[in-house]
Amino acid sequence: MRLDELLPAGVDGWTPAGDDEVYDRETIFDYMNGAGEIYLAYDFRRMLVREYTRESGPPIVAEVYEMSSSEDAYGIFTHDTDGDPVSLGQGAFYAAGLVRFWKDRIFARVIAEKETDEAAAAVMSLGTKITEAVPGEGNEPRLVACLPSGGLLKESVRFFHKQVSLNCHYYLADSNILNLGEKTEAVLARYRVGDGKVRLLVVRYRTAEDAQAAYEQFVQSYFSDEADVPGPIHIHEVEGAEFAGARLVDRFVTLVFEAGDEETCERLIESVAQRTEKVFQWEKDANSKER
Amino acid sequence: MGERRKQQRKVVTRRDFLRGTAYGTLGVALGLKTVGCSAEATEKGALPVPDDKSALFAAENPTSTLVLIRDKAAVNADRWVNPKVVAAMVDTAVKTLAGEKSTDRAWAEYFRPDDTVGMKITVRVHTAQEIIDALSAGLRSVGIPRERIIVKDRDIRPHAKDFTALINATTIKAHYVTGVAAVLKNYINFDNNYLKYHPNSGVNLGSLWLRPEVKGKTRLVVVDALLPYFGRGDERNLSHRWPYKGIIVGTDPVAADAICVRLVQEMRNRYKGEEWLISPPPRSIAAADTKYKLGTSDPTKIKLIRLGSKEDILI
Repeated sequence: MRLDELLPAGVDGWTPAGDDEVYDRETIFDYMNGAGEIYLAYDFRRMLVREYTRESGPPIVAEVYEMSSSEDAYGIFTHDTDGDPVSLGQGAFYAAGLVRFWKDRIFARVIAEKETDEAAAAVMSLGTKITEAVPGEGNEPRLVACLPSGGLLKESVRFFHKQVSLNCHYYLADSNILNLGEKTEAVLARYRVGDGKVRLLVVRYRTAEDAQAAYEQFVQSYFSDEADVPGPIHIHEVEGAEFAGARLVDRFVTLVFEAGDEETCERLIESVAQRTEKVFQWEKDANSKER
Repeated sequence: MGERRKQQRKVVTRRDFLRGTAYGTLGVALGLKTVGCSAEATEKGALPVPDDKSALFAAENPTSTLVLIRDKAAVNADRWVNPKVVAAMVDTAVKTLAGEKSTDRAWAEYFRPDDTVGMKITVRVHTAQEIIDALSAGLRSVGIPRERIIVKDRDIRPHAKDFTALINATTIKAHYVTGVAAVLKNYINFDNNYLKYHPNSGVNLGSLWLRPEVKGKTRLVVVDALLPYFGRGDERNLSHRWPYKGIIVGTDPVAADAICVRLVQEMRNRYKGEEWLISPPPRSIAAADTKYKLGTSDPTKIKLIRLGSKEDILI
């Protein structure tokens, strides 16, 4: 895929200013300093940056990121979902002259330095042309389908692989107690339950053994005051009169935080277990045959 | 099994942080509701929290004193920064900090005519040019010529050996990896390998201040709090920039960061309408206090002199 062909020659009077800039996994820091680590936490391949200018308007910058998979394009898209949902690609948010969207393996941002009515329209026009140029659509991560739907706050869904991403969204510990890495998949989401909100984290590991090791490490670290011996499920009252829970099923570790009661923990954990079995049934059958 | 587990390094978890038994006074600075609420936590070493939260940043016998000045006219609705207003804010803040009525004498408290001053700014969330200009004018009032006022960001390191003094002129930014990027993190460019400071939420950022070319040179810390960035994503996301219209001035980088952390946390909470905790916790601030001894992070030992507009002051 040629990234420069995804971008139009111009839109609404804005035309390219200067040469395109291309960055890869080695050089992304030259463009965005340490923030590049967030992209490297996914299988980011390369990006292209094009600035557009117009005599009577603010500069507009288009950034097009190529990821190795649509799942990772979706993932980096979920890193920041503040703003108003708009119809672009397979998911998009707009706020204050910035639109972010994903389609297939592409994640893109179009930013106006200053939000005027014309610049906002041009930002959306650029976004539309980019999405039209991306030939196909890609899949969301299957793990996202394991999230129970009742009470789900959809804009809170985050998909990622590594500790650095989890830390950014929800600090759990000063070390990688869930053994997250490039081979793991994780989805984090919030739910409205009564007057409160609950957090759910589901991690899928490459093997059941990996999940077991991570689960035991988590329980020993997080419930060190409550749990002497790990079992397949733990639910405990923690600080702030809240409840936290953890459950291990095959390759999946499910965690619940900030629940108001035990029942909420149990209900969410059980619901995830049922959905993971349904979504990943073929995998379980394949494993059984191998044994 | 239990004994072996006890002997292993105890992992610090979110629960320790929320209880206030980890990361020093960071939880207090963030205004966490759970800190100081548990007798059990106090037994485990959580620092006491004053019942009256207004006692924070209001120490009567402070270890560190900083000045926060705000002016509604500093930034307009189009985010244009007023250079005259900002210049006046900088001068007033420096005079207040120095305890001087004269601007010239105030600047002379911190700088000498024979100084070569490195002004470390930030570019990604850019230190306002108007603040840079005001600081440069202040230095010139002491008799330092333009050619000995070196304003740099990423390329500051080659010049470091020539500096006799530093001004840390940073902005405030919530940061993906270190929680907050403000005063302490601003010196990251004194090391070519800046990425090595990102692990563990930047806990070792304080070590930058002990590098030979940096140590002991910082005469003034100036925080551009005109439009702090409090979000999680792209720093150019204007919806995550808060028109705070403030400038913070002091000499204690740790205390300044503690104030910045509190501001960012309050901005996030108000933006979301609920607690939107800075994540990861900016451990660098606690470490800069307890490990690197660069200043104090304890809000009960900091005095913040508030000047100008009090509207939506947040702290």
